[in-house]
Amino acid sequence: MTHILLRDLDIPDIWQFDTYVANGGYEGLKKAVQEHSPQEVIQIVLESNLRGRGGAGFPAGRKWSFIPQDAPIKYVTVNADESEPGTFKDRQLLEKNPHQVIEGAMIAAYAIQAAGVYIYCRGEFWDLAHALEERIEEARQANLVGENVLGSGWTCDVYVHLGAGAYICGEESALLNSLQGLLGQPRVRPPFPAQIGGGLYYQPTVVNNVETLANVPWILVNGADEYKKIGTPQSPGPKIFCMSGHVAKPGNYELPLGITFRELIFEHAGGIRDGKELKAILPSGASGPVLVATDEVLDTPLTYEDVAALGSTLGSASIILMDEDTDMVWAAAKMTHFFKHESCGKCTPCREGTYWLDRIYERLLRGEGTQHDLDMLHVVPKQMAPVTLCALGEFAANPVLSTVTQFPEEYERYIQRSDAPHPEMADAMSTVTRGTTGEVPEAVAEGGA
Amino acid sequence: MADIVTITIDGQDFQVPAGTNLVDAAKMLGTDIPVFCYHPKMEPVGMCRMCLVELGSISVNRETGEPDLDENGEPVVRWFPKLQTACTQKTYEGMVIRTTTEKVVAGRDDILEFILTSHPLDCPVCDKGGECPLQNLTMAYGPGQSRFVFTDKLNLDKHVPLGELIYLDRERCIQCARCVRFCDELVGDDVLAFHERGRRLQIVTISDPPFDTKFSGNTTDICPVGALTTTDFRFGARPWELDEVPTICPYCPVGCNLSASTRLDRDTGGKKIIKRIMPRQNEEVNEIWICDKGRFGHHHSRSTERILHPMIRKGDELVTVDWATAYAEVAARLKKYGDRTGFVAGPALSNEDLWELRKLTRLVGEQRQRGLWPATMSGIEAIAQAGAGVGTRVQDMGPGGAILVIASDFEEEAPIWWLQVKQAADRGVKVVVANARGTKLDKYAAATMPYAYGDAVAVMNGLAARARSRKKIARSLVESRVDGMDALIDSLKGVKVPHPEAADLLLDADDLLIFAGGEGLTLAQHGELMQAAANLLILTAHVGRPNNGLVAVWPGANVQGAMDMGFSAETTAALLDDPPPMWFIAEADPAGEDVRAAEVIANAECVVVTSLFMTETAQQADIILPGQSFAERDGTFTNGMRRVQRFYTAQGPIGDSLPDWKIFAHIGRQMGGDQPRISTGLVMREITEKVFRYADMGYPNLARVEKQFPDVGGDDLYYGGTAYTNTGGLGVQWKTNAEHEQHRLTVRPVNVDSFAADGLQLIPVRVLYDRGMWFRVSDVMDQRVPAPYVELNEADAAGLGIADGEQIAVVLGERTVEVRARVNGKTPAGYALLPMRLSDAPTLTVPAAGVVQKIEE
Amino acid sequence: MLADKYADRIEEIFAKYPDKRSGIMDLLYLAQEEYGWLSEDALREVAALCDVDPTQAQSIAGFYTMFSEKPKGKYWLQVCTDLPCALRGADQFYRELCEYLGVEDGGTTGDGLFTVEQVMCLAACDRAPMLQCNFHYYENLDMETIKALIEQWRARALEEVPEPGE
Repeated sequence: MTHILLRDLDIPDIWQFDTYVANGGYEGLKKAVQEHSPQEVIQIVLESNLRGRGGAGFPAGRKWSFIPQDAPIKYVTVNADESEPGTFKDRQLLEKNPHQVIEGAMIAAYAIQAAGVYIYCRGEFWDLAHALEERIEEARQANLVGENVLGSGWTCDVYVHLGAGAYICGEESALLNSLQGLLGQPRVRPPFPAQIGGGLYYQPTVVNNVETLANVPWILVNGADEYKKIGTPQSPGPKIFCMSGHVAKPGNYELPLGITFRELIFEHAGGIRDGKELKAILPSGASGPVLVATDEVLDTPLTYEDVAALGSTLGSASIILMDEDTDMVWAAAKMTHFFKHESCGKCTPCREGTYWLDRIYERLLRGEGTQHDLDMLHVVPKQMAPVTLCALGEFAANPVLSTVTQFPEEYERYIQRSDAPHPEMADAMSTVTRGTTGEVPEAVAEGGA
Repeated sequence: MADIVTITIDGQDFQVPAGTNLVDAAKMLGTDIPVFCYHPKMEPVGMCRMCLVELGSISVNRETGEPDLDENGEPVVRWFPKLQTACTQKTYEGMVIRTTTEKVVAGRDDILEFILTSHPLDCPVCDKGGECPLQNLTMAYGPGQSRFVFTDKLNLDKHVPLGELIYLDRERCIQCARCVRFCDELVGDDVLAFHERGRRLQIVTISDPPFDTKFSGNTTDICPVGALTTTDFRFGARPWELDEVPTICPYCPVGCNLSASTRLDRDTGGKKIIKRIMPRQNEEVNEIWICDKGRFGHHHSRSTERILHPMIRKGDELVTVDWATAYAEVAARLKKYGDRTGFVAGPALSNEDLWELRKLTRLVGEQRQRGLWPATMSGIEAIAQAGAGVGTRVQDMGPGGAILVIASDFEEEAPIWWLQVKQAADRGVKVVVANARGTKLDKYAAATMPYAYGDAVAVMNGLAARARSRKKIARSLVESRVDGMDALIDSLKGVKVPHPEAADLLLDADDLLIFAGGEGLTLAQHGELMQAAANLLILTAHVGRPNNGLVAVWPGANVQGAMDMGFSAETTAALLDDPPPMWFIAEADPAGEDVRAAEVIANAECVVVTSLFMTETAQQADIILPGQSFAERDGTFTNGMRRVQRFYTAQGPIGDSLPDWKIFAHIGRQMGGDQPRISTGLVMREITEKVFRYADMGYPNLARVEKQFPDVGGDDLYYGGTAYTNTGGLGVQWKTNAEHEQHRLTVRPVNVDSFAADGLQLIPVRVLYDRGMWFRVSDVMDQRVPAPYVELNEADAAGLGIADGEQIAVVLGERTVEVRARVNGKTPAGYALLPMRLSDAPTLTVPAAGVVQKIEE
Repeated sequence: MLADKYADRIEEIFAKYPDKRSGIMDLLYLAQEEYGWLSEDALREVAALCDVDPTQAQSIAGFYTMFSEKPKGKYWLQVCTDLPCALRGADQFYRELCEYLGVEDGGTTGDGLFTVEQVMCLAACDRAPMLQCNFHYYENLDMETIKALIEQWRARALEEVPEPGE
């Protein structure tokens, strides 16, 4: 099939400006700017029912329509802080098809008449981000970015901002704080980013995921109706599925929304590694509840609403597969440790709850867990999840609750044994924050590196 | 005015202004919603999650606009499925909350359990124990028994100095960020921040000096746990042993209301002493804040250096005498010199002291030379006419208002006013700063009006000229009540307006408040500046109503009162010009602060002083009478906004010391005056009868309190521990002439002459942390007091061959003072800034030509 | 001083934003490149450039894991051991790497060349085991490949320090 998003799979050097343009690149932006009013562009995207690919699935067009048109300064911020365990789609887009993201961002910027676009890349995308700046410069040279875009009189520049290692900055208000040079902690909402007082520099701001914006040029060129022919009515369009874990052929797969787990895993991604049985699926990285790989689950279409009906979430469609040998307590401990490490600390329940859970898992992995610990694994997440400031607290509860309820016998086995099943990992978990255990050799401490 | 909306709390309907913070609204209506991170003086952040409530909205039919009704005819409420934080909600029509349901209580219980998982349960040894919101809320919420395994607690450092004044206990911290937000948002000193993240989120500072703000102590008040404590009070006493005594800060013209926490103390042989100073809530004055000078500068009240007994000079020796001998001796001297006596009152005598001193001057003779120290500022007439309207609260001013701060290094001279004006700027008040050099307030100002030292009056006069040319003159007021208009208007013709754009910010505002300091002005110029300000305010009718008028940034806590009681700086200046043989100096140290005064006093025949300490002046004295600090007696101060405020006896006297008013009355008795009154209340009663502006200042009036918002200081579940409840009175402001309809107002042309700038001019400047006798004995502040210095412009320094940091000589007439040179590009060329009261030797209190030079090897 | 040495780059950084404070992360990277780690002096330098109190620079440096307030080895190896990588053997890979270099979890080799740490997800789950060395990706690793790389780095270290983003 021909890819709409992962076009590098069809045209390997599409990252190059000339190649991109030769293959219809920037036609969407031209069409938007030269043929449509900003309001019409919003209308087209609204009609396409393009839903946010960052996780929440919120319709992009509606997000854009919330921006007060008369606000003097508005921004578009591209969320490229891809940090969810199991997610690696934005990285491929930005590395291999960067102009499409820039074009999508510029269309969004035109639609809301933004004064600037900031692409917030996670810090680990160091090389990628620097390359991206070169791509932006190419677009600038071609008058597709910057002053008087395509002679329209509208000026909008695109900048890359590098994060520095914090999952929470994927949360849009934390991202905005981080961009402003503040601690990357979420803000109180309302005001929401689209409102005055809530966005970047407290101006109305659209925050969209990389993949969401990568859909936009195609929609502009081909129209909302064509777009809606892909996927399902409620979840239209193509989606990149990140396949990782015990899958035979890990990697990104661009397929229409509505494909079933079974088709995705077994027809496209080669099934389970080493011919093992599939035990459990994390459909949205570490942050969604674990699904036991029953036939019902496997035959469920991958849409926002169908996965939700299973009691999990499609999220960013980062599908981590776990085979029959996987220790679910260990897996939950891994995810819990991740969330404890990434909790920003701003609100009490998440700060304390993730820490509490982490300590319990550490004890379990050492073989020192008690019935009380097990009881608390049922209690603490429920106590934490509904009252946190942002969604991280809910995410952190999911792996715990979904494993203690679906794999109770595995937990029972842990508190019955006295040997240490995973001592190394327990040790690692006791390192409260990464980087605080290792002593620095004197030579380094004195001389600097 | 905001729209009034109906909200429902626990089934009861209430009317409140729309957009009120829900926690505040509930509190005003009698429902406590527990909080840790929320504070009514700061923006909500929704961090602690303690204030959970069930929140819903009355469902409204879109077509009819009427509420949907259920089968019982009750409005249908659409509830949020999850609990919501009240602190992040603002009231709106149809808001419904429940605060007492099982769900709410369970939610709060859960949060409390979370908070306690990493809080050390060391209440028995914690300074906050007994006045701790967390302790109180733990009594009300939470399971009582933690399900958290105790050994899982994260251990963090417990004694982390955030500078020398404040200690942090990292285990006790619950990461509410009140301290960070106070410093960052309210004060603008971004010197505290969180480090790391998640459970390891910790408060840090690496500012230089550490925790570099003049308001650091307030963070310990608003800390809802015992994480922040002061060096001054740490491990000093338990809150329940303390007896709170209302008092007033003796340092600056703001007149912050303080609470002296006192205890019968073993260290003082069982006598009652001040263990700490806390802010006392007065929303009309300091709200709930105080600066670190007021908080930590109370140690002079029980310093071992205090003078304990009356003393008389016999040859080279000072001999201790009893009071009767001392009174007789002073009276004899006063009789001998009579009218040839100059009286000088210090800046922090109480009104009662001043009244009795005034009475004494009348017994001595006809001249009644009543001087005031320091002799730097004047303009009581300008204040009497155009002083800030009664009810002025900078904190009420909004975007329609403007504030001019002129000739003052505002944060150094009146920190809490600075804080309020800074916050006003944040709210959109047009703050304009006029000074001959940059100050910290400039950063927040809508505009600045820089001028050369000597030109302050011209700047102020230029504003009046601009008002004239822009036809901003308030005809109705001027035509009905103002004298001297024609001459003034004539004088304004053709006057240059130095900064027209900044001027228009002030002239176009609905409210205009002027704070006038005295930096870089001679005494005569200061009088003209005050008149020029009064001219402007009267011309534009910015008088006689709240948030309009003139405020002088006086050089002391009761300079206003001293002027009200008939003392003046002009008299002091005249006395220095034509020195009398005898000087009677009450609680002032002219010889320690000013070279010229030092010369004059050294040559006097007879000097009598009342003093707490052996100041330079006391060392010259023939008779020394030990007075009492603010802590040992009752009295009143009148602050810079003319608010008369009571302070109460907090601790027993040191040695044989007596309050000054009593000393003066006893001396007067020897001179044929009345029997001394038995209390300050009776002295004030006499003042109310004799001084018409003080007619309402009887003690019962001054002691009146009313409910204030926010409601702090109680032991409720709300903002307990934030500040102290005001039980001592909110004070009473006296009305200006503008506020008395029957009074006429007078304007006149001003003299805008600058001073002759010939060679380097030395400009005395005020610094908050100085080496004044009262403050220097508070050891805890030592590190904040700079070594004596002079600030020089780079070009001037280069011309003199002086390098930054070099120890140099400032030549002041016959004397030379050694100070450190601070060379920078900010000091205006041609001027040297010499802080007052930093050197052990006297320097300058008014500008003068001077010489700065390298020290000869 | 950064201000003199990198005047152009600093100007470029500030040009991106309407508020100087937004440049703080870029400047911290710059300081870290220059000095190898973020000492208190380095934090003060960055804070002065952004017109904020040094405490704010420390706060930002402490929040994000890619800033280091401690000296690191010349090669800062960050191995992802999050769940998706761990399902593909990252834990064992990390252990063996530590063993090979003779360091504990989070430790630095005695010669100051290598610091080894575990990190959270690096968006390379499909190519585990993987690591970042001074923020550059190395993916689909096994012990043989990483040993070869380490020996290359060791040899190169004698000549020059690789800088992040070079």
